[in-house]
Amino acid sequence: MVRALKITIITCLSQHGIKRQHVSDAAKSAKIQRDKKKIAHYRNLTDACLDLRDSHTYTQDAYDKTSKLLEENPEFNAIWNYRRDILESWQSNNKDIVTHLLEELNLSMGLLKRFPKCYWIWSHRVWVLFKLESLNKPQWSTELMIVAKMLEYDLRNYHGWSYRRFIVDNIEKAETSATTTANEDEQILALVKINSKEFEYTTSKINNISNFSAWHNRSQLIPKIYKLFQLLKDKSLFPQLQPIFLSPYSLLQHELDLVKTGMYVDADDSSVWLYLSWLLTDKFFVESFESTQNYKDVLLQQLNIVEELNELEKDDHPKGWDNRWCLKAMILIRTLLDDSPENDDLTKNWLKRLIDIDPLRKNKYMDQLNGKLVIVSI
Amino acid sequence: MALVKEKHIQFIKSLNDDVTEQMIEYWLSEHLRLNGIYWGLTAVLLLQEPSTLDQQEVIKFVLKCWDLKQGGFAPFPRHDAHMLSTLSGIQILANYGAWDVLNEKKQDLVKFIKGLQLPNGSFQGDRFGEVDTRFSYNAVSSLAILGELTKDVTEPALEFVLRCQNFDGGFGMVPGAESHAAQVFTCIGFLAITDNLHHIDVDKIGSWLSDRQVESGGLNGRPEKLPDVCYSWWVLSSLAMIGKAHWIDFDKLEQYILSCQDTENGGISDRPDNECDVFHTCFGLTGLSLMNNEKYSMLSIDPIYCMPKEVTKKFDKWKQSTT
Ligand SMILES: [Zn+2]
Repeated sequence: MVRALKITIITCLSQHGIKRQHVSDAAKSAKIQRDKKKIAHYRNLTDACLDLRDSHTYTQDAYDKTSKLLEENPEFNAIWNYRRDILESWQSNNKDIVTHLLEELNLSMGLLKRFPKCYWIWSHRVWVLFKLESLNKPQWSTELMIVAKMLEYDLRNYHGWSYRRFIVDNIEKAETSATTTANEDEQILALVKINSKEFEYTTSKINNISNFSAWHNRSQLIPKIYKLFQLLKDKSLFPQLQPIFLSPYSLLQHELDLVKTGMYVDADDSSVWLYLSWLLTDKFFVESFESTQNYKDVLLQQLNIVEELNELEKDDHPKGWDNRWCLKAMILIRTLLDDSPENDDLTKNWLKRLIDIDPLRKNKYMDQLNGKLVIVSI
Repeated sequence: MALVKEKHIQFIKSLNDDVTEQMIEYWLSEHLRLNGIYWGLTAVLLLQEPSTLDQQEVIKFVLKCWDLKQGGFAPFPRHDAHMLSTLSGIQILANYGAWDVLNEKKQDLVKFIKGLQLPNGSFQGDRFGEVDTRFSYNAVSSLAILGELTKDVTEPALEFVLRCQNFDGGFGMVPGAESHAAQVFTCIGFLAITDNLHHIDVDKIGSWLSDRQVESGGLNGRPEKLPDVCYSWWVLSSLAMIGKAHWIDFDKLEQYILSCQDTENGGISDRPDNECDVFHTCFGLTGLSLMNNEKYSMLSIDPIYCMPKEVTKKFDKWKQSTT
């Protein structure tokens, strides 16, 4: 009877990218036959769990049933909720739930391997970790190793990177609160240690392979580590970082070298260009120059590098076309150099070339050409 | 390729046929049912075939999803209320103009949504603490549709959303998280609803958004990722909200969406020749409507609410002072 409520989502959100198949009627009937048993079992289990929940049953048996159901369908968020309520109830009845919480970590780990993009599993794990911390059994350091493994499977996993930053945040909090009896210097040392490891981690992820997630994380880490490094008493403990984090200028030079390598590896990798625009425009770097002339010198030097690369790209292109990202970067840099870019013939010329080689975005370039906007970003 | 309108209506209809219920996938996707109905309803409304779904049955179902304990909508009867399904429930009722069925539930909804706001202005999806800029959008969109938006909610919420902006102009799920086109939609949508678009550099974010278009004409969600039909909506609507929709190539995007149709059984998939689903069917069609609704005899879509403009123009948005 309730026909209108059947709308189903066979391949949604977490299951992108499944090849289309036109199944025959025979195949469809076969599937229906196969699914009969599965559906009966699944519905029984669902009803059993929801009945137990509605009768406020917080027993081991109920808990085990939810494990079974979540193994079959980790998207069932109401069951995750029920499971958390069971644990809460045990806790308020003075039952030791640490073992169970560790079990939660195992269950969710197994599920994340199969469903790495399922929001509910990630957020359940976060809930469990906070619970463990409140019981003085923090797991943050182990968790960092686990998320490193998760990111090995998919280096751009959005959840994975967010989770990594979340874990680092909490390691920091734990470090600074655990050492409250120790002095501030030791706390700073601990924070530099954690963050420099993260910095090295991003370095290892941007070598030879496009990974904007790592570049992005780097943009978060640099100002943070720099600030900590300033406060650090004994900088010689970090011989590799010391010359890099000497000043925003030394950092800029170090990062510009990395970017140069990146753009020569693949001039079409937009990640590198976005990062370059950050380096050349963010106030962390720009405001640290001793004089405008120093800033202009760096810009001119970068303009030369990009123009050179563009010439190489043109040689490689069958029609002798410019590289789109090189042109965009050249326009950005000249705009940063020039007080009145709208009158600059060279910039106009580059914009006209972009209109030809990148027609998808021609209206944006037209707007730029007509002075409707000056984009100080790539 | 042409739009196979009749086939798409058939596709949505087929999601309700007797066969569907006999597939295990139907049962495994209960947690998205109310969202799924919103997607299907949006599709048939845009195609001007509202009778594809039985209005009375749909409304009855929405009410069955009411979570008495929490005072919000669950995605399925007996499941738990959540910010995501609550917005879908409200959108479905708004599309039907079925406000009378809410009665005292309306104030419960307002309480439920406002109750999920945390001290830093962010919103959690339910009582268990997951924070995401998606929920900031869900909250203000729901309240605006109900005409219950108030500054005491939007001001701290704005502060949080702005903290989620990155150097590339885009927005992430939480402060510090990488820019992602779907999160950009929720954050720009949040700013548009709360009259706060002036807080962002629209040229910068517009530039990042226009770079999401790839050679095939489709749009991706982040740098160096594959295109996907659902981003036709997240990216295009974001551009439209900041007045920069012309910064991408409409003809090529249109061709891309059309190439993702299943011309035999109807429906639209994420990429050409992939399995179709109601989610991508909806967002493929909303994309086409936003670019050129007249060409396809579709209703015009509102980029902010992802609902027909003829519905959204009736929203009160801000709560009228009762004094
Ligand atoms: Zn998609």
